[in-house]
Amino acid sequence: MKRLSVPALLAAVFAVLVWASQTGAMNIYWQSVVMFMGVNIILSSSLNIINGNMGEFSCGHAGFMAVGAYVSSVLSVALFAKSAAFGDPLLSPHLAVWIFPLVLLAGALAASLVGLLVAIPSFKTRGDYLAIITIAAAYIVKSTIENIGIIGGARGFMGMSSVMRAMNDTANLPWIMIWVVLGTIFSVWLIRRFIYSTFGKGVDAISQDEIAAEIMSVDTDRVKLVAFMVSCGLAGLAGGLFAHILGYVNPGSFTILKSTEVMVMVYLGGMGSLSGSVLSAILITLLMEALRPLQIVKWVVIPLLLVLLMQFRPEGIMGRRELADVFPGLRKFYKFKG
Amino acid sequence: MLLSVENLRVKYGNIEALHGISFHVDRGEIVALIGANGAGKTTTLLSIMRLPPPEAPKVVEGDIKYEGQSILGMEPHDVVRKLHMDLSPEGRRIFGNLTVMENLVLATYARKDGEEAVARDLDRVLSLFPRLSERRRQRSESLSGGEQQMLAVGRAIMTGCDFILLDEPSMGLAPLLMYEMFRTLKKLNEQGLTVLLIEQNAKVALSFAHRGYVLDTGEIKTSGTAEELRNDPEVKKAYLGG
Repeated sequence: MKRLSVPALLAAVFAVLVWASQTGAMNIYWQSVVMFMGVNIILSSSLNIINGNMGEFSCGHAGFMAVGAYVSSVLSVALFAKSAAFGDPLLSPHLAVWIFPLVLLAGALAASLVGLLVAIPSFKTRGDYLAIITIAAAYIVKSTIENIGIIGGARGFMGMSSVMRAMNDTANLPWIMIWVVLGTIFSVWLIRRFIYSTFGKGVDAISQDEIAAEIMSVDTDRVKLVAFMVSCGLAGLAGGLFAHILGYVNPGSFTILKSTEVMVMVYLGGMGSLSGSVLSAILITLLMEALRPLQIVKWVVIPLLLVLLMQFRPEGIMGRRELADVFPGLRKFYKFKG
Repeated sequence: MLLSVENLRVKYGNIEALHGISFHVDRGEIVALIGANGAGKTTTLLSIMRLPPPEAPKVVEGDIKYEGQSILGMEPHDVVRKLHMDLSPEGRRIFGNLTVMENLVLATYARKDGEEAVARDLDRVLSLFPRLSERRRQRSESLSGGEQQMLAVGRAIMTGCDFILLDEPSMGLAPLLMYEMFRTLKKLNEQGLTVLLIEQNAKVALSFAHRGYVLDTGEIKTSGTAEELRNDPEVKKAYLGG
């Protein structure tokens, strides 16, 4: 039972969500809330590797998300849809269902390569200086996209909805929900594996003292490189999913405000706590929706909540702990590492 | 010769910290580098460990050789992994929010010589430092200074090293703890550990070391066996209190 409880729970959640989207038991609005929740979970838990576990400070997560969003969108439109920019589809739209995961993966890979922009400077700098480099990287990405005409520049890029429609023609299932839920589960699983691996221990050591890490035989450059690439790659995956949920992307979605939103999730959840990041992504998504009627005043209320949080619980919801540390009873159901 | 430093000149920015020093360490020895504040002792160790600037200085001339091979091109983690040489640094630099045990386990990060060897070393460290064994589940920042020093040494041993560079192991230790520390080091040395030790407390250092070098403002002033140095009138006057 210990081995199977969590996979079984995830399978059940997956089945319920797919069923509810398919039958319409969950309306379109709630479907999109759930999907954005998934995207936010990927974003916050991946940023948590850098800002939480590694103790660096990256404020450019939206930039990597943008890379993933654009690369996967352009690929999927060019491959599976008729568009003004790329003409007829290169492959049969019926293949979309099979090849779409690879398209997302390509977006993630592209984002992780752009992550090198940040990873390499991080060998020599950290703290405030690195933070500025990450902002710069995000701006480089955004301006580059704005200046490439073929993908729409500042006007944005669309056509992904016809790819989703093509998948629906192949098999009538709520495909985007399926991809988002699978992508979220995959990301959290991957991050968990990563932070509990030997590499993860190196990440921990770096967060505390880089020199001490080096003399403990940790190859700090390599560990940073891998950590940044994993984190940025997953942000790219989140971007790819985000673009396909909306069916439209524009550079304006990937400003520093988006990066800040993700950072808020990480700090609210607790630095270096994976379950904290997941929980706070869910909470923030719900909060954003609940406060939607307030419109712009929302951006007064949410920061205010943050100020209060920092005042009364500066370590975030979970601190550095995981769910199993707070509720030891959970250990009965699952073997937690660490 | 296990380690030889040849005519080493290093700079921090424009300031030259070592003006061409040469010394060597043989396998199985305890060698002490003694000298006052600012003599360049820590600088020497950081250079040997190949730590990057700004922490450590830049080598402008001379060479550091391990078994005759230059190690100037190496990175610190390779010095630990390939040469089995490790530093117990100034200020200890233990991982404060990890427990004692986690610190020791983290040190085995890159070890490839199997779980048995790791378990053996862990036993060795915990029996050499019974205090660490008592406090193994305690967060290491809550340890006393002496215990933290023990942890820093224990941690270096856990990396699987057979050559340890010690930066002021006596710093901040009560005399009793300090002697305990040095006795343990002697024991480790008898088990085959090579030690390069830097100390301000020349008296203690020279009573434990086999050989010593006196470093003064970036130059080696005198060298010899510990006994020769203990009886050297100059050394006596400057470092041993008359």
